[in-house]
Amino acid sequence: MGAKVEEEWKKGSAELLVLSLLEDLPRHGYEIAKLIEIRSAGALHFHVASLYPLLYRLEKRGGIQGRWVEKPNQRRRRYYRLTTAGRRILALQRKKWLEFAGAVGQIAGVQHA
Amino acid sequence: MPEWNLEIRRRLVGLNLRPEREAEIVEELSDHLQQCYEEARARGAEEDEAFRQVIAEIDWRGFAPELQVTERTPQSNAVPEGAATSGHFFEDLWKDVRFALRMLRKGPGFTAVAVLTLALGIGANTAVFTVVDSLILNPLPVEKISTLAALNTTEARRTAQSGDLQALSYLNLKEIRERTHAFRSLSGHSYPVAVTMTDKDQPRRIFAEIVTTNYFETLGIHPFLGRFFLPSEDAMPGAAPVAVLGYTAWQSRFGGTPDILGRTITLNETQFMIIGVAPKGFKGVYAVFGPDLWVPSMMAAEVLPAEQRNALSDRGLPLFTGIGRLAPGVTLAQARAEMNIVGAALQKEDPDANEGKILTVTPLIEAAYGPERQPVVFGGILLMTIVGFVLLIACSNVANLLLARASVRRQEIAVRMALGAGRRRLIRQLLTESVLLGLFSGVLGFVFGYGGCRFLESLRPAEYAQNLQDLRLDAGVFVFAFAVAILTGLLFGIVPALRSSRVSVSEVLKEETRSPGRVRSRVTLANTLLAGQVAVSLVLLVVAGLFLRSIEREYVIDPGFQTKHLALFMLYPGQAGYDRVRTGQFYKQVLDGIARIPGVASVSWASNLPLWGHKETGIAIEGQEARKKSEAISAVVDTVDLNYFSTMDIPLVMGRDFSENDRDVSTPVAIINETMAAKYWPNQDPLGKRLQLPRGKQLLQVVGVVKTANYQTLGEPPQPCVYIPLRQNYADSMILYIRSERDPSTVLAAVQGEIHSLDPGLPMEDIRTGTKVIDQALWWSKIGVGLLGAFGLLALGLASVGLYGIMAYSVNQRRREIGVRMALGANQGSVSLLVLGQGMTVVASGVAVGMALSLLLGRVLSRFLYGISGSDPLSLVGASLALLAVAFFACYLPARSASRVDPLVALREA
Repeated sequence: MGAKVEEEWKKGSAELLVLSLLEDLPRHGYEIAKLIEIRSAGALHFHVASLYPLLYRLEKRGGIQGRWVEKPNQRRRRYYRLTTAGRRILALQRKKWLEFAGAVGQIAGVQHA
Repeated sequence: MPEWNLEIRRRLVGLNLRPEREAEIVEELSDHLQQCYEEARARGAEEDEAFRQVIAEIDWRGFAPELQVTERTPQSNAVPEGAATSGHFFEDLWKDVRFALRMLRKGPGFTAVAVLTLALGIGANTAVFTVVDSLILNPLPVEKISTLAALNTTEARRTAQSGDLQALSYLNLKEIRERTHAFRSLSGHSYPVAVTMTDKDQPRRIFAEIVTTNYFETLGIHPFLGRFFLPSEDAMPGAAPVAVLGYTAWQSRFGGTPDILGRTITLNETQFMIIGVAPKGFKGVYAVFGPDLWVPSMMAAEVLPAEQRNALSDRGLPLFTGIGRLAPGVTLAQARAEMNIVGAALQKEDPDANEGKILTVTPLIEAAYGPERQPVVFGGILLMTIVGFVLLIACSNVANLLLARASVRRQEIAVRMALGAGRRRLIRQLLTESVLLGLFSGVLGFVFGYGGCRFLESLRPAEYAQNLQDLRLDAGVFVFAFAVAILTGLLFGIVPALRSSRVSVSEVLKEETRSPGRVRSRVTLANTLLAGQVAVSLVLLVVAGLFLRSIEREYVIDPGFQTKHLALFMLYPGQAGYDRVRTGQFYKQVLDGIARIPGVASVSWASNLPLWGHKETGIAIEGQEARKKSEAISAVVDTVDLNYFSTMDIPLVMGRDFSENDRDVSTPVAIINETMAAKYWPNQDPLGKRLQLPRGKQLLQVVGVVKTANYQTLGEPPQPCVYIPLRQNYADSMILYIRSERDPSTVLAAVQGEIHSLDPGLPMEDIRTGTKVIDQALWWSKIGVGLLGAFGLLALGLASVGLYGIMAYSVNQRRREIGVRMALGANQGSVSLLVLGQGMTVVASGVAVGMALSLLLGRVLSRFLYGISGSDPLSLVGASLALLAVAFFACYLPARSASRVDPLVALREA
């Protein structure tokens, strides 16, 4: 699989990944990128130029909301939290993803874990 | 710490982000990169190595396009104000307004001159509109004036003077009220009757109107305090002595105390209880002159003069003007038709009183002025037109200022266009500026207008100020001023905006400094505007001049009686409880007493004030009864005492004056004027002929003929007049006429003392001198001419300031050219002449146009002028010369400064 194709796959699932990570608590951009990297054991990787446009797009659509938070001994950081609309988007994308993965699995003969 | 910011900013170039947004993104991303860097360092990488790792990791390719999609922001943010529209109307507007404010602040001189110029124009318009609104458009604060109509009678056959409307008698009004279906309610009011009010022993003359009890209800107005009349108060003559006070009278005569209700006042000899106060601004439906209070019709006998005390029972005695409210769905024409039928029935049923009389229905708004309506409306239209022109001049002045300024701003505008601002957007920006200027001027103009109105009110004759309509500056006027301000802004802004936005960017940006070659077209437009201003100012000056000359002529009109040595006192002995006999004695005592005062040449009584002649219609002439029924003879009727004609200097032409022998028991006599004699006894000897007055039962024998004077207005066409002797005709109030040997003011105090010694309880008001009578008769005209003159001068002032401004500007623009001319040998004189010649050419063409317009206008105005024609050469030439002189001065100053241009300096500058 070439880099180009991987990009496309990533893009399709990126929103789902970000929204999932924000489900429990607000996080800032670096944290989101780091968590994706860690939880995918390095298989998925977002850098600033791909992550932030995505965050801004989600914010503009109302799925997440960013807020500057200042903590002691630290530069202020922008924390994103999931909005009500964002929860709906997340639920919808989860469902779509399952359907999609299921369909691909059926054809490709991959058993779902 | 590595410099992430630069890295990121590089990638954001070209996205046109708002500066705040860009800073946010840079901050967030660099923090992210910093954390990556610190992580790499923690893993043990060297500084350079860590930096390279972090940077290498980033694939910037998709970054800008992705952001472009989400961060799509208005283009205009990248460009200063006045760029392409963002699509957000209010956002743009706010931006435009802020920018406009900044621009206006930057040119305080320009802003001040423009605002002041426009404010003068708007102020003049506001003041005049207030006058027109309160006097013509909206004279009465009543409910739905369009469904109210006035009902009067008039003679069926129209003779020269019978177009006059007459009031209805009480019985006729009652009759009509019972029969009408067209009017939902029909009420009546009398003219304001002078009565004596005694309050705390101080007798005063005030005006009362007698009204039917449904009067206020018909008009649809509500009391300010207390209540209006009840139907039960109109049941029995004399039974309900109650009165409603006017708001102004309550304020001025009773200090506006709230405990006025229930208080009793004495009117003539009867005690009345005050039950209510009319709303503010309501002074009756006769818009010129209103009463101080109202009493119900059943109290008529208590307030009317003696000869009218039988008003409630005499069908032939006109007293009430009917005021009707049309029933829903009924048109004025239908009401007229119904009144024709009712009128015909009344004629048939009671021919004695109603023969030859028909009922006339007039919309109340027209009736509100009676016969004065036409001049008032004409004056209103004329003034509105004139201040409209004044405003146009102000607008074109400011337009010229803007054009001049536009050349200063060419570079700024070109830069903005080069940065992508659309023309439409630029025009909008420029218009915002001018509308804003208009609004500022509007605020100031409203203040000027308010001041102007107060000033006009202060010019009203003090004796009657309380009974005259107030000028109302209400919401309507405010809306008017506001609309005028915005319109003005658009009007003077649009041409300069269109012109200055039509610049060629490349050319302007190439020009580094001023642009001598481009001035021409702007100057042409400015010159056209200027010539127009000159023309309009000239027209206004000519109009003012015409009316000034006209009123000057009016002052020297011979009214037919002497005014220089005349003093007048109004006395109401009948209202002080005098009976007929005692009143007669009183009149004689006064004459005897006054005649003894040194400095008094002669003294007499008369019922009419000079120029306030009382006219009666329906005079019968013996031997000419044929015309009695069909064509009513009307004449001024004046009750006078002995020596009246010598006191007034009215020459006796034929026969004799009244004498001691004309008494109750002798033959009833009359003296007529020449006009009456010539009209009704042409080529005959009028002496010994007999006539009958409409109110009298007896035939009066003509014993004398006097010269015709003016009776109602100065310079009026001659009208018939009948004088009857006081000693044969009782009147309970009269006017004392005194002819003094010298200045009449020298005898005023002595005369007052004499009357006071006869009866201290007698009210004495309206003490005036003959010249003051003339002054008051010309009051309206004087105010009108004063306003015309003021506006004419304002126009002249504005136009000359405009002229000066443009000339100075053009000289400044042409400094280099002038410098070259002088370097080539032109002397100072020829340079001055050049500039002067150019300015005066514009002025001369304006004067030519203005002259032509004035001649046209003069034809329209000629019928409102007295004693001069509309093309009066003195007014035309005088106004032109005045204008040329001022214009010359306005051009001379710039011309002089042009001649002082130092060629060396001018050429070096350029």
